[in-house]
Amino acid sequence: MNMKQHMLVIASALAFATAAGPALAAAAGQPAPDFTLTDTHGKAVRLSDYRGKYVVLEWTNPECPFVQRHYNTRNMPGLQKEWGTRDVAWLSIDSSNRDSRDYKSAAQLNAWMSAHEGSQKAVLIDGDSATARLYAAKTTPHMFVINPEGRIVYAGAIDDRPRASSDETLKAKNYVRTALTAATGGATVDPANTTPYGCSIAY
Amino acid sequence: MIFNALVLTLLMAVGGVRVSDAAPVRTAHVEAELVAEQSALIPGRPNTVALRLVMERGWHTYWQNAGDSGLPTTLTWKLPEGLKAGPIQWPAPRALPVGPLVNYGYEGAVLLLSDIATVPDFLSGKTVTLSARADWLVCKEICIPEGADLSLTLPVIADAAQVTRDPRWIDAIAKARTSLPRPANEWNVTATGRGSTVELHLAPAAGQDSAASIAGSHFFPYVEGQIEASGVQSLTHQGTDWSMSLPVASQRVGEFRRVAGVLVWGDASARRALAIDVPLAGTVVAGSTAPALTAPPLKLTPPASGADTTLSLGTAIFFALVGGLLLNLMPCVFPVLSLKVLGFATHRENDAAMRHHGLAFGAGVLVSFWLLAGVLIGLRAAGAQLGWGFQLQSPAMIAALAVLFFVLALNLSGVFEVRQFVPSSLATWNAKNPLLNDALSGALAVVVASPCSAPFMGAALGYALAGPMLSTWIVFTVLAIGMALPYVLLAYFPAWRKRLPKPGAWMLRLKQLLAFPLYATVLWLAWVLGAQLDNDAVLRLGASLLLIALGLWAWQTMRTGGARGWGIAAAASIAGALAVGWPVVGTSAMDAESNVAKRPAADGPWQEYSAARVAQLVEAGRPVFVEFTAAWCVTCQVNKRLVLDTDAVRDVFARRKVALLQADWTRRDPAIGAALAALGRNGVPVYVFFRPGKEPLLLPEVLTKQDIFDAIDTPQSAATLDAPLNEQAPTSRLIPSTGG
Repeated sequence: MNMKQHMLVIASALAFATAAGPALAAAAGQPAPDFTLTDTHGKAVRLSDYRGKYVVLEWTNPECPFVQRHYNTRNMPGLQKEWGTRDVAWLSIDSSNRDSRDYKSAAQLNAWMSAHEGSQKAVLIDGDSATARLYAAKTTPHMFVINPEGRIVYAGAIDDRPRASSDETLKAKNYVRTALTAATGGATVDPANTTPYGCSIAY
Repeated sequence: MIFNALVLTLLMAVGGVRVSDAAPVRTAHVEAELVAEQSALIPGRPNTVALRLVMERGWHTYWQNAGDSGLPTTLTWKLPEGLKAGPIQWPAPRALPVGPLVNYGYEGAVLLLSDIATVPDFLSGKTVTLSARADWLVCKEICIPEGADLSLTLPVIADAAQVTRDPRWIDAIAKARTSLPRPANEWNVTATGRGSTVELHLAPAAGQDSAASIAGSHFFPYVEGQIEASGVQSLTHQGTDWSMSLPVASQRVGEFRRVAGVLVWGDASARRALAIDVPLAGTVVAGSTAPALTAPPLKLTPPASGADTTLSLGTAIFFALVGGLLLNLMPCVFPVLSLKVLGFATHRENDAAMRHHGLAFGAGVLVSFWLLAGVLIGLRAAGAQLGWGFQLQSPAMIAALAVLFFVLALNLSGVFEVRQFVPSSLATWNAKNPLLNDALSGALAVVVASPCSAPFMGAALGYALAGPMLSTWIVFTVLAIGMALPYVLLAYFPAWRKRLPKPGAWMLRLKQLLAFPLYATVLWLAWVLGAQLDNDAVLRLGASLLLIALGLWAWQTMRTGGARGWGIAAAASIAGALAVGWPVVGTSAMDAESNVAKRPAADGPWQEYSAARVAQLVEAGRPVFVEFTAAWCVTCQVNKRLVLDTDAVRDVFARRKVALLQADWTRRDPAIGAALAALGRNGVPVYVFFRPGKEPLLLPEVLTKQDIFDAIDTPQSAATLDAPLNEQAPTSRLIPSTGG
């Protein structure tokens, strides 16, 4: 049988096999898995489009009391505004499954965010929770900071005070601010991984 | 003393003092109160009190480590001078699946015990009020932070003889106590880090050979960020020793120098817990995938049947050899096998030359397997959950294979002749290197074999990929030897070859006939592509193939004396095929995962697999049958048509109320990869039967109806099928009465 002519095909087929990327855990030090989601204005947003910038991923759910506390106290919107002006792309992701009672339409999310002065770059809808799975996101809020090279530099909680009352929220040590300050200033992010707290993501 | 008691009795009689406290506080989803074990505080000794939380059905509160989400309940005491409250003593928690996540906590009712210490000279005779602020997070689909200010008023009586136990709480407190973790005195416990798992080993301490069984244990770490809460823990039992494999958290937090937590076993009515706190030897790396979103929070013991992870190297080698041999008969390899045998019939060279052909072919197979092993080892080291056939999870690979099979088929059909297709210089070079041709056909055989998993292969590969690199290499080598063996033997023994029919006109017809299995393979690959991507992709592939056929035909026309224009037409067609097909090839697996809605794989009685769902169903007393499958897996499709989709099997499943779950690995899915790894496998098909209270049962890769009937333990006669194993509805959850 004459099959030599297929050498190239075989070689390219094996090349495809090796090119398939591995799925790594979403923890500090790891490359941030790429994803494309539609935002609340119908625009497709791809993570890798922000290569070259710092990106913050914030898992959110307006139904969650923890999220409500961070928005009602203006803690989260304040942080979004603070870093948005410094060219950090802040992406809030609602991964509530479209079958769950927490699922919100784009219009509902827009209304809630504008009522709470949400100042993020975009609010993304992850109706099949696939992106949450990709990042092993567990809670709302669950925060990831990604550097311009596309690596995760911080993964975990928004701050160190899971039980803070509304009044105390702004006094907590905000891990996202700490991480962004250190990373943009060329310093080592510490802590780089913390245990996230909040409501379970409505997978 | 007597006076005190008298006064107290008097006071109580007139109703001035209530030994018990106010009514329980009701919040939206919880009823909370402080309760005391005894009717009075006795100075100088610990007095047990408890925060009693009764959750609304379906809601839960949390253990000291909440698991993937949630917050532990807190209790802040405000006590009179001379009293001091100890920390909360947490009864054994339960693993509570919430979607793919797992929380640690309590449903139903729970008593969180605390000892109130009194100074010895604490004034007896008076009554004291113990106040506490309790805060808890109560969750179902949503979480609500709740709290209450609670109090409990008790008299202080020095004479223990006059103090009675409060009958309302005797049982509940006793039950909570029995499920408090005990020190693991009768065990020697060690913990060793082995990469992304921690192995906990329990051996009975000296003189403790009758140490209790801890079958069905689940380990709950005290802190999050060390052990993956939702990961699969596997418990194995050897003699009197127990070994538990715990998955390291994918999002590691803080130091991990000790393994500390509780080991919990027993059912809701008698839960037992052992406190573990041992140094961690060895090294750990963060779990590379996210088992959080994957694997069942089950007490999953690898099945003790012949094909499991405890395979010895010798058995694995034997399985690999037999698996490699059988691979030749699998539907995806068979056309290639036929082509090769045809090749033997054509070549009537001297015996030495034939031997060289056979060896070259074998070398091609071997090197391809090594390449595959190298790629697999590399990608797995980088953290990918991959297994046999992994390359078929990439739509680009499927498209490339479809083109390969199609071009091969066109060649067999005689649409174009190969020698004219290759530039003359290369053809000459090839003619001088006939052995390279054999080696390449060996490589081709391996490429087309990848969608197939033969019997015995699954177990061997599971062993290969779970073990060290050397064992991976050995098993792949033996697989290659097994696959190449028939050809090599045929090449070495001329006597065997003589039995092959003489060449003749029939060979051309057979060659043309063999094109059709290849066309069928293309059809199947197109279907796989459709499952991975969408209709458009199938159309693009089809159009691409059409243009390739046109191009090759035009090329052939030119080579057999046609005008030069045919050559241009051929080049244009091939360019067109590339342009049309490129979007398919350019679609990365990532896009396929995130952009395309999940294929509605689960149809009819089949539901989509999730680890949590398995746990939930098994806990509810339902037997569960899980099919790990993929559209590109031929063996899977065969099993589906011949066994799973037959009326007899469907009927047995329905009568025995077996819940059917399907895990579709057509596209890369770390969750399914991790679940397979937990079963000691890394390829599909895998069929597992989970039964309440029993170990999960792995069924053979090539299924028969009888395997299913045996697994369900059902004689095939319809008369005995009427008694269901379990009548419990899938939604009825056991309400745990941990501590209450």
